[in-house]
Amino acid sequence: MDSGRIRFFLSEVWRNFTRTLIMQLTAIGTVTVTIALLGGFLFTRQTLGAIGDDVIKKIEISVFLTDGASPADARTLAAKLRADPRVKSVTYVPKAQGLREMRERLRGQIDTSLLTANPLPDALRVRVVDPERVHEVAAFARKQANVANVEYAQDAVQKLLRISDVLGRIGLGIVALLVFTAAIIISNTIRLTVFARRREIAIMQLVGASGFYIRMPFICEGFIAGVLGAALALALLVTARLQLLPKLIVALPFLPMHAVNIDGLTFALELLGTGAAVGVVASWFSVGRYLRA
Amino acid sequence: MISLRGVTLVYPNGTRALDAIDLEIAKGSFVFFVGHSGTGKSSLLRLLYREQVPSRGQVTVDAVRVDNLRRSKVPQLRRNVGVVFQDFKLLSDKTVWENVAFALQVTGARTRDVMRQVPRVLDLVGLAHKSRMFPSELSGGEQQRTAIARALVNNPKILLCDEPTGNLDPANTNEIMDLLHRINLKGTTVLIATHNALVVDRMRRRVIRLDDGKIVADEERGYYHAAVPASVALAGDAAEPGEAPKPIRSIINGLGANPLLSE
Repeated sequence: MDSGRIRFFLSEVWRNFTRTLIMQLTAIGTVTVTIALLGGFLFTRQTLGAIGDDVIKKIEISVFLTDGASPADARTLAAKLRADPRVKSVTYVPKAQGLREMRERLRGQIDTSLLTANPLPDALRVRVVDPERVHEVAAFARKQANVANVEYAQDAVQKLLRISDVLGRIGLGIVALLVFTAAIIISNTIRLTVFARRREIAIMQLVGASGFYIRMPFICEGFIAGVLGAALALALLVTARLQLLPKLIVALPFLPMHAVNIDGLTFALELLGTGAAVGVVASWFSVGRYLRA
Repeated sequence: MISLRGVTLVYPNGTRALDAIDLEIAKGSFVFFVGHSGTGKSSLLRLLYREQVPSRGQVTVDAVRVDNLRRSKVPQLRRNVGVVFQDFKLLSDKTVWENVAFALQVTGARTRDVMRQVPRVLDLVGLAHKSRMFPSELSGGEQQRTAIARALVNNPKILLCDEPTGNLDPANTNEIMDLLHRINLKGTTVLIATHNALVVDRMRRRVIRLDDGKIVADEERGYYHAAVPASVALAGDAAEPGEAPKPIRSIINGLGANPLLSE
């Protein structure tokens, strides 16, 4: 490859690209939308996953003891629960400590000086090994002697587990569909640009250009469209993250956003690579179909 | 140089374009293919650069079997066979120079070769001074000369011309035929399919007549109208196959023979 040949090749790519600009913009726009949705989806899923893990890790069962239960009764119960393989840890919280913690939690939200008497019973805090079995452990604890009541975020846990599972499946389907759609649209766009250049292609074939040489400019264009589209999508995603995330943290303070840690560079490269691959594969097929016809 | 053995070409719609053709053409020949439209002249030329594959028979071009040539070998064949058409097939957004250079560049030629070959063929066709012009700024004859330069830039041994003067007036036609003659004198084998009787009769070269996909006459130093009475050949020329003969009045009008007869 001497510089003249490279210059000719690039000028041909550029000439074709600008001549079919509207079609190229269509392809780029398609990639942008697809990759933005894909990226947004991946990001959301990762965030929800991280939040879910965080919440689930903190799930604990509060086992409230009857008023008449002595500290010895509490210790017996704690030992029995600890012996269960599904239980990770058991902490004894006497009523005085429970009140202290409650005052701590509610500080600034209500006037804690109003809490003069202690309404809390003695309690055990139980953490489980596997969050999915939290209700089993809760049922087991409820059956024990000296237990007045058992509380845990049952609904929240089950919903979170279900949501993250369903999201994972739906998401996979959506992503596949999106990529497929993008490939179809790009391949159609490239077919239009191939059609717009059928005279050049006919002459290239007539004078003995190799199939590779005829294909190459189209593949390059598919690549450019794919990468440009993905880059635009990435810009959209970064903007959205910078603009929305701070607001989200303020609006939904109970979500542990700090737990979400995404490797931005890998993420960006994955999206760019997907865009490029979609563009190249789509143009390869559409040119191939035209050349064989 | 070129040989066809028992070549039959049947199109998917059942049309028998060529029927058991046997033909030998020597290196350096200058050959006319004549006959009515649809008798297989263009189909025969298309076999030679593998735009078409015969249904049966062998086609050999410059010692290469073309009828069963692998797809990947086709570009190599095309670089050895230049092709010129009635409608020139130039790229309108490229200059004369770019149109000719294009044929070299897309085969991956080195820039050094492009810079040497393009001026050579533009000189040969007499268009060196118009190399920066676009096809729309050229006369028909100049456009065809550009197309010929493009066909020759890869130094092919064979030049195929399908109705090269079909769109040209008599002056441009003579100019193109003189050019093709000069190219032939330099050693290139030139094959021309034409309807132009004057061109054929003026050149007096080998004439191969096709009718209904068969070779019906093959003469060294032949004429366009061979043994057929001139009047019959003329009437036959005016009508496409399958078309009803034109009414005599329209033929006369077309000739502009008598102004009193036209409305």
